[in-house]
Amino acid sequence: MPQALQVENLPTPKVEEWKYTNLGRSLPANLVLADIPQEIFIHKNRGKVCEQVEDIVFAGVENQHSQPRLKIVLEEGASLTLVERQNGEGAYWKNMVTEIELGPNANLQHIRLNQDSAQAVQTNVMNIKTDRDAVYNGFSLNMGGKLTRHEIHAQIHGSNAEVSFNGVNLLNDQQHGDTTILIEHQVPHCRSNQFYRTLLDDKARGVFQGKVHVHQEAQKTDGYQLANTLLLSSEAEMDTKPELEIYADDVKCSHGTTTGQLDEEPLFYLRQRGLSEAQARLLLVQAFVDEVVDKVKNENIRAEILEITNSWLSNALEN
Amino acid sequence: MIKINNLHANVETDDGDVEILKGISLDIPAGEVHAIMGPNGSGKSTLSYVLAGRDDYEVTEGSVELDGQDLLDFAPEERAAAGLFLAFQYPVEIPGVNMSTFLKTSINSIRKQRGEDELDALAMLKLIKSKCAELGISDDMMKRAVNVGFSGGEKKRNEVLQMAMLEPKFAVLDETDSGLDIDALKIVADGVNKMRSPDRSFLVITHYQRLLDYIKPDVVHVLAHGRIIKSGGPELALELEDKGYADIIGEAA
Repeated sequence: MPQALQVENLPTPKVEEWKYTNLGRSLPANLVLADIPQEIFIHKNRGKVCEQVEDIVFAGVENQHSQPRLKIVLEEGASLTLVERQNGEGAYWKNMVTEIELGPNANLQHIRLNQDSAQAVQTNVMNIKTDRDAVYNGFSLNMGGKLTRHEIHAQIHGSNAEVSFNGVNLLNDQQHGDTTILIEHQVPHCRSNQFYRTLLDDKARGVFQGKVHVHQEAQKTDGYQLANTLLLSSEAEMDTKPELEIYADDVKCSHGTTTGQLDEEPLFYLRQRGLSEAQARLLLVQAFVDEVVDKVKNENIRAEILEITNSWLSNALEN
Repeated sequence: MIKINNLHANVETDDGDVEILKGISLDIPAGEVHAIMGPNGSGKSTLSYVLAGRDDYEVTEGSVELDGQDLLDFAPEERAAAGLFLAFQYPVEIPGVNMSTFLKTSINSIRKQRGEDELDALAMLKLIKSKCAELGISDDMMKRAVNVGFSGGEKKRNEVLQMAMLEPKFAVLDETDSGLDIDALKIVADGVNKMRSPDRSFLVITHYQRLLDYIKPDVVHVLAHGRIIKSGGPELALELEDKGYADIIGEAA
């Protein structure tokens, strides 16, 4: 017997963290629980430096409700570049949990390419714990799915660690993309970065909630947050909620969010230099996105991402 | 070369349209440098924007011809291809677009509009290198994003570099001297002087007479309240410096 879905236990917009995202309303009807759980466990031993990029795929299946699990453990000094691809066919709900544990001085470059099908719902919770001197550098390209929600919860509990969450959201039609981040600075001398850029076309809706919580003992914290959105249509909507909660008295934290259209001034400047209006617009939106993609260290992956984003942007501007 | 005839232009404001240019006529033959001087609010920058085709301004009367073509019918990029260049008073920062990509795109867009072959990467590199060397601009400026983090002097030098690369027929320099120290001013003026030629004309818009010590104009015009109230030789600039705008405007009124 396929298991029925307990819709009444799902979070609703009444929950503060979910106030912008109505999961229940977006779920496809008649979902059946996947009978084979998809689980990937990556474990790198102490000092293991992986030269090769690892590439994993989570594929959604029509009418399925799947609960993929990803666990990544990097022991002391281990390093890895991981590309995680989300795709699938038809209407499905992927409810994924990722656990990441980084040991002392471990280094994870984590690239997430979210290209789920147009009818898919993806909810994704990622928990990250970093030990001392560890580095997590994440990049997320979000362009698939009818509704996606990425919740990131980072706990920095070893000094001199650094976590970075960079992302590009490219949404059109009636897509809904939600990124909600909570970073807990629990110890001194750590750094966190959030850098998200969003382009919304048609009736798409974006959400960015980013919170940095600096505990009392986390002195010398350096927290940075920037979320910029360009609206390509008058019917698109963006909700941003930057938050800083600081209990230490010697920290450097900044946050900034902007939402708007392309500025007229650079457009005119470029046109005065001979670029057509279409060329100038494309160059400006590409630059807007490229600045985040630049945070991806691996050259081949960066090139792959740029190819995807540039093609999306060309299409968006043509219409 | 360039003929401006009875040019009237409005700017859109929250209180409706306001007329800024109230009938400007100006004839700059090929090879000449004309200077426009005027107090703040006289319409100097509006004139440069209207010539370049910025959207926020509406031309209500008059014409602007460059070599017999009516520029007012053209989009900004078509005016650029026709040979008009505007050195901006405030060069715009464009994060994420590096200088070499920008120059390459700019030159090739203009070449394409003119029906010329686009330059390949190597030819482009050579052109950039030679122009940078001529103007004393370091190569690593080419790796930076357009005008981002540039000093005031670097921004203005960058405008002159772009002008040198695009080789316009008619260049408008909008307060290119404002805020420059004397060394930066000399570099900018040198760049302009090197480009003076019998088939190119310049309109130098400035607030201060100082620039005209370095770029010698053929004719000086005084702009006030949207009209040219007095024209003369280079000595007019000195007279302005001496007496101040108020006197000259008072005399003309």
